[in-house]
Amino acid sequence: MRYSGGMEKQAVWIGYASALGAALLCTLIGLAMMSRFDVVNIAMVYLLAVVVIALRFTRGAAITCAALCVAAFDFVFVPPAGAFTVDDIQYLFTFAIMLVVALVISGLMERGRRQAEARAALTLEAETERVRSTLLASISHDLRTPLAVIAGASSSLVEEGDKLKPEEQRALAQSVYGQARDMSELVAKVLEMTRLEAGIIELRRDWASIAEIAGSVLARLGERLAAHLLVVDIAPDLPLVRVDAILVEQALANLVENAARHTPAGTAVRVSAERRGNELVVSVEDRGPGIDERDLEQVFAKFHRGRSDHGGEHAGTGVGLGLAICRAVVGLHGGRVWVERPAGGGAAFRFTLPVEAAPAPPAEA
Amino acid sequence: MTAPRATILIVEDEPEIRRFLRSSLGAEGYKVVESATGRRGAIDATTHKPDLAIIDLGLPDIDGVEVIRQIRQWSVMPVLVLSARAREHAKIEALDAGADDYITKPFGVGELLARVRVAMRHAVRPASGLGVLKLEEATVDLEARKALRAGREVHLTPIEFRLITHLAKHLGMVVTQKQLLTEVWGPTHAEDTHYLRIYMKQLRDKLEKDPVQPRHFITETGVGYRLME
Repeated sequence: MRYSGGMEKQAVWIGYASALGAALLCTLIGLAMMSRFDVVNIAMVYLLAVVVIALRFTRGAAITCAALCVAAFDFVFVPPAGAFTVDDIQYLFTFAIMLVVALVISGLMERGRRQAEARAALTLEAETERVRSTLLASISHDLRTPLAVIAGASSSLVEEGDKLKPEEQRALAQSVYGQARDMSELVAKVLEMTRLEAGIIELRRDWASIAEIAGSVLARLGERLAAHLLVVDIAPDLPLVRVDAILVEQALANLVENAARHTPAGTAVRVSAERRGNELVVSVEDRGPGIDERDLEQVFAKFHRGRSDHGGEHAGTGVGLGLAICRAVVGLHGGRVWVERPAGGGAAFRFTLPVEAAPAPPAEA
Repeated sequence: MTAPRATILIVEDEPEIRRFLRSSLGAEGYKVVESATGRRGAIDATTHKPDLAIIDLGLPDIDGVEVIRQIRQWSVMPVLVLSARAREHAKIEALDAGADDYITKPFGVGELLARVRVAMRHAVRPASGLGVLKLEEATVDLEARKALRAGREVHLTPIEFRLITHLAKHLGMVVTQKQLLTEVWGPTHAEDTHYLRIYMKQLRDKLEKDPVQPRHFITETGVGYRLME
C-alpha cells in the first residue's frame, strides 16, 4: 500500500494522456462518419469518449477530455469548420451536455472510489489490529511459560537447594537451561522478523555455496534432527549464488527446524538442492502429516501454527515465525518459496535463489 | 590439565555475565580479573598481564574493538570476543583487529571453555612447527606437503596446501575470509570470496568423509572458516 502515491501519480498522468488520445480518436472516427452521418451523431461519439474517460480516470482527466472534445468537435465539425466560432446556438447546448456528463459521472466515480478506499483502510486497520493482538497473545504465552519455569526452577535451587538431592538439583538446572535456550531462540526470531519487516535489513550479498550453507544448518541443528532419518542430497556441481549467506542459512534452518518439529521421530527429512534453469531450488521434504490443502499459502503467514502437532519432540513450541522469516528472506533475494503435497505424503517446502555466473579463480599450474 | 593458575581478564559491563564467567572459569582453575569498562580493561590488561582476555563487543564507554587494538599494540595474548547474534560484521571487525576467536551470546559454558582451551594451547605452543594434521579419513603432512587418504596419496594443489597451512596455524580457531584471501591469494584478492567457496569445496571433496557435512573444514557463515582436528 505504501507505494500507492507513486502509482497514483502515474495513473493521473495516464488519465490526461488518455483524454487527449480519446479526443483525437473521436475526431478521426468523426471524419470517417462525416459523409454519411449527421453532425449530432458525431457529437454522440465524443460524448461516449467523455463517459469512458470519466468512468476510468480522475475528474480532472474527465473535464479535460470534455473540453478537448468540445474544442475538436467545434473546430472540425461545427460549421463554420476550421474555426472556433459557432453559428448555431444549439451547439452550445451540445457542449454544455458534454461538460455536465463529464462532471456527473466523474463525481459519482470519485465518491465510489473514496468509499472503497475508506473500506480498505478500515479492513487494513482491523487486520493490523488482529496481527498485533495475535503477536501479543503468541509472545506473551511463549515468553511467560519459559519464564515461569525459569523463575520457579531457579527459586527452588536458591531457596531449597540444600534440601534437594543432587539429581533433583541437576534436573532443575537443566530445565532452566533448556527453557532459557528456547526463549533466546524465540526472541531472536521476533527480532529477526521485526528487522525484516521494518525494511532496515541491508543484504550483504556475497558468493555463497548452498552446500556449505546446508552443511552449517545441519551442524547447527544436528541435535534437533538426531531422532529423524536425515537424507542430504545436494547436487555436486551446483553454481555459487550471490546471497546474504547468514540470512539464507537462517531461512533454510527454519525449514529444517520446522520439519523436525512437526514430524514424528524416526521419519525421514530430506534436504536437497538442484539447479533448474536459472534458479537453484532448495527443498526440505518430510514424511510427517503433511499440510492441509487450505493451508498451503497460509503456513507462511506470521504466527500461523500447524492445525495440530504430531508428536515431534518440540511440538507446540514454535511461535509461527520461522516460515514467515523464510518467506521474507527468500523474497528479498528475488526468489520464491512454496510448499507442495507430494504424492507419497508429507510436505515438501521449496525455495529458489537466482543463479548468476561467478568468475572463475585463476587456474593453477 | 590447565596451566596452573593461568589468569584470564574479563572485560564485560554486565555484572551478571561477569559473575557467571567468573564462577565457571574459576571452577576450571583459572584466576579471573574483571573490568567493567573498555578503558579499565585496556589498563588492567597492561597491569595484570593476563594469559588470555575475554572482551565483550558491546561495552558502554569505548568499542571492544578499540580495546583489542590497544592490547595488540603490545601483546600477542589470546583474545576472545563475546558478541550478540546477527552482529557478524562486528565479529569480523574484531577478528581483523586481532581477536583470535569469538563466542556468540547466549552461549553455554562448555562452548566457552572449549574456546578458552584452544586459545590457551596456541599461546603456550605457538604453531610454528606444523607437523601432521590428523583428520578422520586423511592425514596431511604440512611440512612434507603430502596428503594421504586411506593409505593412498591425495594430490593437493599448491593453493590448497597454502590454505590448509594457514588454517592449521590457527587450528580450532576461526580465520576470517579476508585473512585467508590475503594470506593465500594476496591483498588484491581480499574480496574474492568465491575463490574460497571453490577451494573449500575441493578440500572437502578430497579430505572429508562427507563433504556436505564436514567435520574438519567448518564454515562460520558470513565470517570465515575453522579447521578442527
